[in-house]
Amino acid sequence: MIIYLTTIAVLLLLAPLLLSFIKSLKMVLLFKRPSSVFQGYRNFSKLMQKETIISQETSSITTYAPFLVLSPLLVTMFFLPPVVHGAFYVSFVDAFTITGLISLSTFFLMLLGLDSASAFGGMGSSREAFISALVEPAMVLTVFSVSMMAGDLGVGQAGVNLAEHFPKEHMASFLFAGISFFILLIAENGRIPVDNPETHLELTMVHEAMILDLSGIYLAIIETAASVKFVIFASLFVSLFIPFGLEYSAPVAIVVFIAKLFGVAVAVAILEVNTAKLRLFKVPNLLGISIVFAFLSLITFYVLGA
Amino acid sequence: MFLFDTLSLIFVALILLGAIPNLFYSFGYLPHIQRKTHYQVHYFAFIISMLGVVVAGNALVFLFFWELMSLTSWQLILTEVEDKETIKAARFYFFMTHFGFVFLLLFFLIATNGNLDISFEDMKNIAAAFKYPTLLFFMLVFGFLSKAGAVPFHVWLPYAHPAAPSPVSALMSGVMLKVAIYGFARFLFDVLYPWPLEWGIVVLVIGSISSIVGVLYALSEHDIKALLANHSIENIGIILIGFGMGMIFDSLGLKTLSTFAFIAALFHVFNHMSFKSLLFMGAGSVLHQTHTKNIEKYGGLIKSMPVTALTFLLASISISALPPSNGFLSEWMIFQSMLGSYNIADMSLKLAIPFAIFALAITGGLAIACFVKAYGITFLGLHRSKNAKHAKEVNFLMKSGMILMSLVVISLMLFTPFYISWFDKTLVSLHHISVYAKMFPHGIWNMHSVAVHGGVVSPLILLASLLGVTLLLLFAYKVLHVKTRVYHTWGCGYKTSAKTQYSATGFAGPIRRFFNWLYKSNEHFHKENIGEHETKFSDSNYEVHVKPLFEASLYESSKKLTNSVSYWVYRLAHFEKTRYAAMIFNLMLLVLFSYRIFLHEFSWATFTLELIVVIISIKVLIIGDKK
Repeated sequence: MIIYLTTIAVLLLLAPLLLSFIKSLKMVLLFKRPSSVFQGYRNFSKLMQKETIISQETSSITTYAPFLVLSPLLVTMFFLPPVVHGAFYVSFVDAFTITGLISLSTFFLMLLGLDSASAFGGMGSSREAFISALVEPAMVLTVFSVSMMAGDLGVGQAGVNLAEHFPKEHMASFLFAGISFFILLIAENGRIPVDNPETHLELTMVHEAMILDLSGIYLAIIETAASVKFVIFASLFVSLFIPFGLEYSAPVAIVVFIAKLFGVAVAVAILEVNTAKLRLFKVPNLLGISIVFAFLSLITFYVLGA
Repeated sequence: MFLFDTLSLIFVALILLGAIPNLFYSFGYLPHIQRKTHYQVHYFAFIISMLGVVVAGNALVFLFFWELMSLTSWQLILTEVEDKETIKAARFYFFMTHFGFVFLLLFFLIATNGNLDISFEDMKNIAAAFKYPTLLFFMLVFGFLSKAGAVPFHVWLPYAHPAAPSPVSALMSGVMLKVAIYGFARFLFDVLYPWPLEWGIVVLVIGSISSIVGVLYALSEHDIKALLANHSIENIGIILIGFGMGMIFDSLGLKTLSTFAFIAALFHVFNHMSFKSLLFMGAGSVLHQTHTKNIEKYGGLIKSMPVTALTFLLASISISALPPSNGFLSEWMIFQSMLGSYNIADMSLKLAIPFAIFALAITGGLAIACFVKAYGITFLGLHRSKNAKHAKEVNFLMKSGMILMSLVVISLMLFTPFYISWFDKTLVSLHHISVYAKMFPHGIWNMHSVAVHGGVVSPLILLASLLGVTLLLLFAYKVLHVKTRVYHTWGCGYKTSAKTQYSATGFAGPIRRFFNWLYKSNEHFHKENIGEHETKFSDSNYEVHVKPLFEASLYESSKKLTNSVSYWVYRLAHFEKTRYAAMIFNLMLLVLFSYRIFLHEFSWATFTLELIVVIISIKVLIIGDKK
């Protein structure tokens, strides 16, 4: 139980760090002077001290939605697979529920975008709706496929099963599902080929457009939610697709886990540096690839058993 | 004459749960209806006829109440005849409902040997002796699913639902469609029981297509009630996916999974009743206050209509299948039953089911987009028109109707195990095995799937944890005493006004553009340029109209075909005598040749030769020269 709570605390603390790390690594790769990896914490504390300005066009949705954006993600944090062998994990939540909780968070984020009556917010919500509608099938199919290979749909149990006995005979379908999930990780978190989190240029904005009217503590909450979402996806990715390191003693296992998370961050940073942002109407092609890989994974599992 | 078994009784409960809140709402709505007596008579007759359908014990009673249900709902659509569109919608509904009725009548005439007052048990024996059971199955599909609004018989829904007064739309969409599902289930279980595998696949395919088609057209729709009507098509599709999976599992002998899938379908029947009624009531309140169905003319209604907005939000979350709502739970069960496809030995079927999963998943994603649009454009932002500005909260009775219905939604979410034990009993009474003990092995907290690698969900713990975390966050926010100020925020340097907000057309824009191959939308873009400048204009107007594909292709083209056939019949009827003689000659030729071909030895050479002779004689003697 202590390890379980520690893991969650570590993940929460790590969340802003990972995004700042990606940012500074990108700057290094682009031969710029990198920003501090602790910039995420600085932003957070600064935003907490600032006055919150609420747009006068908004309604009660803006008052409550930021909390409803964050809370499903925080709840999801408690349902992630364990990182240490024998640690407590929540066994009664399956992958469909996690997909649903993430959608719930997105739902309120999209309402938040529409609430302030600005054209930007609506644009962001519209694009987010478009992308997340296409993410959903890929996510469900990937989950479906992984659950069969792991022998359980519950994410906690699936993580344990995979770590204890990695299904080497299903390596091909496993790889396909992994590719599909990585694309989803990028799309859901608004990373570069899908959305550019660092610009305020209307052509490229999705996530930023929705939260343009927020300030102060609300912005801090939404930014936290974004980083928590990244951590959720990254830790799901490493627990389900790179499932090793659980057998070490608790501190080592946690360090290995964190190292794997940073590995994902490095992969995302390298990908972001090497690709341009896609046009919005090319994004479905990318998500289509993800869907196709999820199907491939299922079909290879069914037909070849590989 | 009447039958009160568990299947009937749960549908009686469904109708009562749907109708009682509706009564309150309906009485609140009554002052705004001109023909009050007409409305009330048909309203109560409608509810009674639905109850009659689900407790009918023989074919005659069933058909009587079924027809009464159709006729009263048809009259209810005609309550407020304001424009020609309403009459057109009512006529269309009348036609579609009787299209289904014809097939039902045929089904009963075959399955009862013409003796309409025998029980369903006796019908089973007659149907078992009938040589072509698939024909009977398709009669059920045509008869009931045309009423339920499954593709391709769904086209009447987006016309009939908006035309009816709002309480009636809520009843029609929430309850009447479910009565059709009842009929489908009743006669499949009671009369045509051992199903071949293909029937289940047919139902699954119809369900998958319906769900996608419904949600896609809902997205492009700007009439709020038509939008909800399209979502009914989607949800009927989801119910049929669950139903089809149950049939497939049953015919493959996977009894536990079959019961599980049927429970999922029944649960979704209840859920759809609750949230769709609530949505229609909310839409009715909005419509009632703003006097327009056009979603683009709303905006900012959450400030003036808080109760409507809150209940609508609850229903939106539920219909978008977001946890921990009841809509999520039933969709979760359907997903879980599809995971059971792992157990199917038939490889081609096993590979096909992921496509149904894909259909259901993309439906879920698009439904979220659609309800963000419906809720965001209607209730959030600034008032988009004067009508929206003058909207007030509706009267007490209408409010209490909506609140009661949201209690039904919440009860379905909180008492899921109770409802499921009930559905389980129903299926046991239909000779299925019980799965309740497998679904809730350790008390009511966790709901297990019966599939091999199935998952677990615990609605109550989810709800409690979500509420707890949110309240904790709100509490922390209160403790921090954050300084807040309500002021202008940055609106791109422009003044934020109703015109600068995103519109519903714009919101659905990306998705509409992506699915343009399906929508084939008509875009009207009108711009008054200033001088010769392409980019400067004083006034511009952009409108998109989407004509449903099925209506444009299947219905319009069959209309065209009928027209041209009747034209040729007309031409034939006005021939001169020589041509009649020629026709008789040709018919005799045809009969003689056919006799030769079919009863004597068949050879392609004589067949071709005789075909050529017939074609030439038809061309020369009957059609003659083209004028």
